Amino acid sequence: MNNSNVPSYPPFIVRVSGVWLRHFNVYSKSLFSNSLPPFLEPLIFLAGIGLGMAGYLPKMAGMPYLTFLATGLPLTAAMFVAASECSYGTFIRLEFDKVYDAMLAAPLSVYDVLIGEITWAATIGMFFSLVVVVVVACFGLVPMPASLLTIVPGFLTGMMFAVASLLVTSFVPNINQFNFYFTAFLSPMFFFCGVVFPIENLPHALRIAAEIFPLTHVVRLARCFDVLTLSPVVLWDLFYIIAFTIIIGWIAINRLRAKLIQ
Amino acid sequence: MSQTVITLENIHKSFADVKAVNGVSFSVPESICFGLLGPNGAGKTTLLKMLYGVCIPDPRPVGTISVFGFDPRKNDLAIKFISGVVPQEDNLDEELNVRQNLNVYARFYNIPRQQASRRINDLLNFMELSDKHTDNIRHLSGGMKRRLIIARALLNNPRLLILDEPTTGLDPQVRHLIWEKLRGLKREGMTIILTTHYMEEAFQICDRVLIMDKGKCVIEGNPQKLVADTIEPFVLEIYSKEAFSAVKSSLPSHCTTIDESAGRVRVYSCDEAGLKDITRMLKPGTYFIRQSNLEDLFLKTTGSMLNEQQ
Repeated sequence: MNNSNVPSYPPFIVRVSGVWLRHFNVYSKSLFSNSLPPFLEPLIFLAGIGLGMAGYLPKMAGMPYLTFLATGLPLTAAMFVAASECSYGTFIRLEFDKVYDAMLAAPLSVYDVLIGEITWAATIGMFFSLVVVVVVACFGLVPMPASLLTIVPGFLTGMMFAVASLLVTSFVPNINQFNFYFTAFLSPMFFFCGVVFPIENLPHALRIAAEIFPLTHVVRLARCFDVLTLSPVVLWDLFYIIAFTIIIGWIAINRLRAKLIQ
Repeated sequence: MSQTVITLENIHKSFADVKAVNGVSFSVPESICFGLLGPNGAGKTTLLKMLYGVCIPDPRPVGTISVFGFDPRKNDLAIKFISGVVPQEDNLDEELNVRQNLNVYARFYNIPRQQASRRINDLLNFMELSDKHTDNIRHLSGGMKRRLIIARALLNNPRLLILDEPTTGLDPQVRHLIWEKLRGLKREGMTIILTTHYMEEAFQICDRVLIMDKGKCVIEGNPQKLVADTIEPFVLEIYSKEAFSAVKSSLPSHCTTIDESAGRVRVYSCDEAGLKDITRMLKPGTYFIRQSNLEDLFLKTTGSMLNEQQ
């Protein structure tokens, strides 16, 4: 049978948003257990370190220490939530629940499925950065309403850590190996990318190294938004974020494609 | 004249050092049920996945594959939009209930909300799951999950339904229910292609079967006709080799094939009376005479059977 007319399957945006909505439906089913850790962790850290030590610490980067910390923590929340969604979450969907196999039987391509995945991770990154901002704002730690702009770097954080985590997922044969990723890659970023202290305080070599890590750029971007000043370095940050997402995302999607399409 | 829905010509597929599909060609006309049979590892699932672009055939040697005139390597989305797929493994979203599972997929096909709701009601009704529509997936039996996955594949009124072992592991009632539904869909004009290990399934619903072994086509045709043309109509099954050696010399002289496998001997013959004569020399309970079936054909064509003319 030769059909000259290709059936009008849904356009790209409908396909990606279908995937996004699937994740939204499933995630919101267990919203409480999903959202408690990423919501509480930064607050516990803020209470433990911030309240206990803030009095001994000078101003950092021109702001009180607690404010300094509170402007960075929304992004580490976004980082961890997006990273776990696209590492443990993706691995389970890929290997155990066969969710992607099911989706690929519908009129969706691997690109639709994975771009939907990245968009979803960016969304929850944005959501949790907002939640943390709102809570720390209640304690008067961050300037409002300027800090609400943190949702932009929050979204970008989710996006970058989604693609990075998908790349890691394309390599790991066993779900337990994500522990290495979290311990060796994400935890150092928490400390050395300008969340806990300014990267200017790092020794010169590490100062350069910090520029290589994705978290540094979104943290700097967020602080600029918080104080509503734009410095030229923001252009470098934006360039990094876009380049990182496109390059790492492209490699990750193509590596996972090789796993999904035999 | 009916049109051709699926055409495969000289399809090859290798995984690392395993040749999963080795030069397969077949075609499926519209509105029939086509069955792919074969032992595990014969390449059946690989072939099904090729139809909707989730498995890509080897580029060399050159083969062609066409579904509704589309090449799955280029137009997989078009094919998937007008086809329904029931995979081998249950892959429902366990976090969602029955209706929500279907809703998620209705969005993948871009079916408007109200229309999707009506369609879901119809399909749940058709698959006899209406009273389960708010149930959690974890609370469904294996048969219910299977029916729900079939309902999901039918959401967009497909013209082609692709099923990979649709009734494996299900109880007889559910299997008969699924067969009945598939026959109904075929009557309405749907083309169906499935894989199965169950010879009875192929006999019950397939208009054509293709038996595969080690990635190659062994035999193809209408199941009833294949059995009639290819294999002797009667079988004497003897349950031990010792009992068989006692009667070996008295077998009917012509038209007899013997298969010894898995500790059991099957003697195929056109001569039912001759087979009955032999049984007088056997103890009751050590033999059984029956008509040959697709399973015998399957064993014969996939090579587990010796072909000794006596």
